[in-house]
Amino acid sequence: MLRIAKNLYDYRELMVTLAWKNIALRYKQAYLGIVWAILKPITLMLIFTLVRSFIGIESGNIPYPILTFAALLPWTFFQESASDGVGSVVSNATLIKKIYFPREIFPITAVLTKVVELIINFVILAGLMLWYHLMPSIYILWVPLLIGYTILAALTIAFVGAALNVYYRDMAQALPVVLSLLMYVSPVIYPLRLVKDKLLVNQTAGEWSDTLYTLYTLNPLAGIIDSFQSVVLRNQPPDLAALTPGAIAIAVLLPLSYLYFKRAESYFADVI
Amino acid sequence: MSIIEVDHLTKEYRLGTLRSLKQTLLNGAAFLTGKKMPEAPLFKALDDVTFSIEQGEVVGIIGHTGAGKSTLLKMRAKISTPTRGTVKMNGRIAPLIEVGAGFVPDFTGRENVYLNGSILGLSRKEIDQKFDEIVDFSEMAEFIDTPVKRYSSGMQVKLAFAVATSIEAELLIVDEVLAVGDLAFQRKCFDRIEDMIKRQGKTVLLVSHNIRQVERLCNRTILLSRGKIVLDGPSHDVCNAFYEENDNKISNQKSIERKIQSTGEVELLEITCVNAAGKSISEVVYGEMVTVAVRLKTSKALEGPIFVIGIHTTDFVYIATITSHQEFRGRTLPTGVHEVRLCLPQLPLLPGVYSLRFSLDIGDPIKNVLYGESLSKFLVINNEIQRTSPACEGLIFLSGNQWSLDVR
Repeated sequence: MLRIAKNLYDYRELMVTLAWKNIALRYKQAYLGIVWAILKPITLMLIFTLVRSFIGIESGNIPYPILTFAALLPWTFFQESASDGVGSVVSNATLIKKIYFPREIFPITAVLTKVVELIINFVILAGLMLWYHLMPSIYILWVPLLIGYTILAALTIAFVGAALNVYYRDMAQALPVVLSLLMYVSPVIYPLRLVKDKLLVNQTAGEWSDTLYTLYTLNPLAGIIDSFQSVVLRNQPPDLAALTPGAIAIAVLLPLSYLYFKRAESYFADVI
Repeated sequence: MSIIEVDHLTKEYRLGTLRSLKQTLLNGAAFLTGKKMPEAPLFKALDDVTFSIEQGEVVGIIGHTGAGKSTLLKMRAKISTPTRGTVKMNGRIAPLIEVGAGFVPDFTGRENVYLNGSILGLSRKEIDQKFDEIVDFSEMAEFIDTPVKRYSSGMQVKLAFAVATSIEAELLIVDEVLAVGDLAFQRKCFDRIEDMIKRQGKTVLLVSHNIRQVERLCNRTILLSRGKIVLDGPSHDVCNAFYEENDNKISNQKSIERKIQSTGEVELLEITCVNAAGKSISEVVYGEMVTVAVRLKTSKALEGPIFVIGIHTTDFVYIATITSHQEFRGRTLPTGVHEVRLCLPQLPLLPGVYSLRFSLDIGDPIKNVLYGESLSKFLVINNEIQRTSPACEGLIFLSGNQWSLDVR
């Protein structure tokens, strides 16, 4: 564990340089530049808001646009870092074939790159909060922790996905489909409260209700998104009960994912 | 202390295509049910290779294509993992394997220097310090803020080489990079590598097809063939053995690839070396007389022929060109088969494989009707001079030399 951390520390400059390369490259010849980073969550927010005006989703005392933007912020970050992480090894094939450094640098850098775009989205979120006169409380200090947790969740997918993608390019094709499905079972469009009410309070699914809710929160994004909304907008502490199942899942899966990646890594150059 | 220890290194590749996901699942199912699946044949790129390199040694690795040279380098650069055996290394390694890996076309030269530098393991501070030197060496100061995609390929390589050689490593792995850029730059690269070897005492591993280069730079050479070490010893001996093997291989090739351009008025039937008895031969003895005989078939009368016979090496270095000038200008070749002979009384070529070229010009104004290179190979042998003797370096022997020595 310590060895891994030290190794990564040794390569910190390379990671920063590669992340800088990713960002600079993406926006180098784009006229709008980094603005593209915020376009996706903003568009989705507008669409969801429009859809909501037809079907009606209970958003409590928080205005729906900002509630859904606060959900989209960690979600887009997770989704994009996971999918960039999965593609990161294959897209650096030329480097993999020619130079050695620990290969986990690629997925990790892909995720780090997304942090920059996340920060820009935070600026937009702050603007929206000003607009709706929402003041953050002390609980906002949870945010770095939640983002760190999201990074771990994204890496869990990125490591195993990137390694598999080297052998089976099906991975890169399947991932967007899986991730967009995952969005619907995450509280992005609707708040977690609705699910909780349906299952825990009304016991809609009968005796299966509690199990179903645990299954639902096994998705780390359920806890992340809800907690993020709570600490930023609702001025409440995070719902630890919703966070726990997902956190346990990540604690188990991340080491496995990493070990699989390290095992597969030695054959990347032969197969890629 | 040895810098590299390679111990019983074996690398196997499975021949054939990648297995699809479906095949993997099927294989998995077969494995679980205990059935045997047909295995793709294995290819041994490296077969039980063992050697070590000491501090300060300059080692060349030569061998034909597919002998395992690049695989060996990849193992050493930790890019690929051995199937069996181990590679142990002490110290920092600078792999100059295809320099410029990771150059981003959209980035400027300056940005790429930083990017490439950190990929190769330099810290930002180190790059800052060396930046001017890198730019200076690459001769790219003028274009350093231009995107690399606007560079010519030669310019890219110059920059890449400059970055790669700025790494202060104990071991330098060089793979064919000396063949980059224009002549002047090649010279500069060569000098830089030589400087690293001779003055900075670095350990260098050089992989090249350019045997002369290996011979000159390295004090020890390893000859690989089909994944195995065939020879490992002083460069001179190993390179000579490789030359001889090559000579045999080339002169044994029955079907020679001929490159002939003809207007159709004349056809080249045969071109060979013949001995005094007029018999066609493929081996010629150094210093003896040899005749080159060319048989031609003309489909119409050709006036005022000029014959040109040339000798070149198998890598197309022209050694000599002999033309008949005005000799037959007044003559006419009628329709039919003709033979033209050129007698070389004393062949000054040193042992090795050479090839013939031939050209025929006619008429006034002069017009070329036939031109061909690599038409017939012949082997020059010499049983008296050892191929390893210094007198055998080069291509020809100059006679009538006179030495003098003034001692003051």
